[in-house]
Amino acid sequence: MTDAFTRADLRALIASARASLRVMRRYPTQWIGQIFWPVLLPAVWVLIGQAYSGGGDPRAMDAFAARSGTTGITVFIFVGYAMYMWLSTLLWGPGTELRRNQMTGTLEAIFLTPVSRLVPLFGPTLTTVIWTAFQLGVMSIAVWLLFGIVLPWQGALLSLLVVVASLPAMYAVGALFAASVLKFGETGPIVQFVRGMLSLLCGITFPIVMLPGWAQAVATAMPPTYVVASMRDALLKDASPLDLLPSVLILFALALVFGVLAITVFRVLERSARRTGMLGRY
Amino acid sequence: MTAAVEARGLVKEFEKGRRTIWQRLRREPDRRTTFRAVDGIDLTVETGEIFGLLGPNGAGKTTTMKMLATLLIPTAGTIRVLGIDPTKDARAVRARLGAMLSGERSLYWKLTARENLEYYAALYHVPPKETKDRIDACLRAVKLLDRADDYVERYSTGMRQRLALARALLPDPPLVILDEPTVGLDPQAARDLRDRVRELQRQGRTVLLTTHYMEEADQLCDRVAIIDHGQIVALDSPAALKRRIRAEDVVRLEIGTSGDDAPLLERLAASASIARSERRNGTLSVTAHCASAREFVPAAFDAVQHAGATLQHVEVVPVSLEDVFLSLTGRALRE
Repeated sequence: MTDAFTRADLRALIASARASLRVMRRYPTQWIGQIFWPVLLPAVWVLIGQAYSGGGDPRAMDAFAARSGTTGITVFIFVGYAMYMWLSTLLWGPGTELRRNQMTGTLEAIFLTPVSRLVPLFGPTLTTVIWTAFQLGVMSIAVWLLFGIVLPWQGALLSLLVVVASLPAMYAVGALFAASVLKFGETGPIVQFVRGMLSLLCGITFPIVMLPGWAQAVATAMPPTYVVASMRDALLKDASPLDLLPSVLILFALALVFGVLAITVFRVLERSARRTGMLGRY
Repeated sequence: MTAAVEARGLVKEFEKGRRTIWQRLRREPDRRTTFRAVDGIDLTVETGEIFGLLGPNGAGKTTTMKMLATLLIPTAGTIRVLGIDPTKDARAVRARLGAMLSGERSLYWKLTARENLEYYAALYHVPPKETKDRIDACLRAVKLLDRADDYVERYSTGMRQRLALARALLPDPPLVILDEPTVGLDPQAARDLRDRVRELQRQGRTVLLTTHYMEEADQLCDRVAIIDHGQIVALDSPAALKRRIRAEDVVRLEIGTSGDDAPLLERLAASASIARSERRNGTLSVTAHCASAREFVPAAFDAVQHAGATLQHVEVVPVSLEDVFLSLTGRALRE
């Protein structure tokens, strides 16, 4: 028997997501927290931006447009923060889930089954799609209620398609860092560092042309850069699906690269955990 | 017939101490050492038997189980589980093995029993058409069918242990391994779980369990391996192990004495084998193995009187596996 991912593993992946969703539903107060953060965090930056631009001074807006291609600061920042929230969920999600399973003792029970190791890595975090969809919805309503901006429905739809197309790449990035739980028993410090770096490199609150050349080069290898740029193009520049196709293709290519890297690192660290006994430590 | 489990020269070493990133950066010498949790175990579990690993905490029982269950890679030695080498084809072993290693901790408490088993059935690759019947059968086997739709968090510890056993039975395994299955359970719940384990044997399954409860090993197991400091110090049926210490009775004495223990112990040793003596707060506790308590107890009275001490308590008990462990290691199981 090989380590191949079989149809039975796919069923297990769905069962894993379903179990995780059931647990999530049984903590309903979590949803309340999800209403505030996606609104408060970007709103603060929007207000700072408005203050720095003198409340919309044309010269300041032109300067911003010259660097970002748009004068829509509010949507620019909200899209960046949507990316930030999603990135946080994905970077924390798989690692936190592995760690929770390690601490509660279910990780050993899962590793006792013949299921592919990709199932515990990706299965429970499939539900993050629901969180992300919920956060995007909350942000869209907040942009409308607080700043009077109604997002164009074609752009919103295209943004959602970009999000869906980027799932493999983004999950692969999350999984890559989640594997560190099997070595270090925690994911916090690595995730904090990576999230900070990606926030800086991928232009969450500012256009990446503001970065030095070498940092811009690094940013081109990071999936969030393409997601956030494509969403901004769709919502602020009326980009067509064809305009976004190159970015989507790059996202697929990056999914392959990060996916292979994540699976390799996970397998190496799983073997290490089976040597050191890390699976059962908490 | 192939043995259910075969282990030869099984060794597991772990690192002791830690080496920080700072120490690595400064290229300080690596001061970590290794210790052997399992130190050359040879073991054969025959198909259809209930086999027990009996030993105190830290003896190496759980580490051995984890190596058999593919959770740990041995440092040295060979293993065959149901004829398969778990270091070469771990997935094939996992598909045929029912394991309950972390007991109630292996469950999701926010899910119901049925939801837990649905999840694990998918992980065990149980075909969807068979899942419902398989889950019902497992829940029935552990007498939880009527509570299937309750959240696990509302279960008692005993019920959770039984559910963990049901989880281990999902792949319909020919071999079930149980690590301390009754730890933390009240006597009734422990008895109930032992009944379930006997039922597994009646169904034709092989059961390998660890325990530090001598009564459990005595009552449940066809054969017992006594393990201490990572080594098997004796392996036989419980009855044969008890015959090894060549005593009919075990007498436990508590003696109030302030003088030197040596002359008193010497006099006692003239009529019995002194398995253990320990002084605590002015009381000398002695465990003696003898051919006849009727002859030894009067002799013990005389010895105590001669030493000017006071006999505070006398207890005559049948020989147990605890006494076997004591005679082999000089220590009690719970020390």
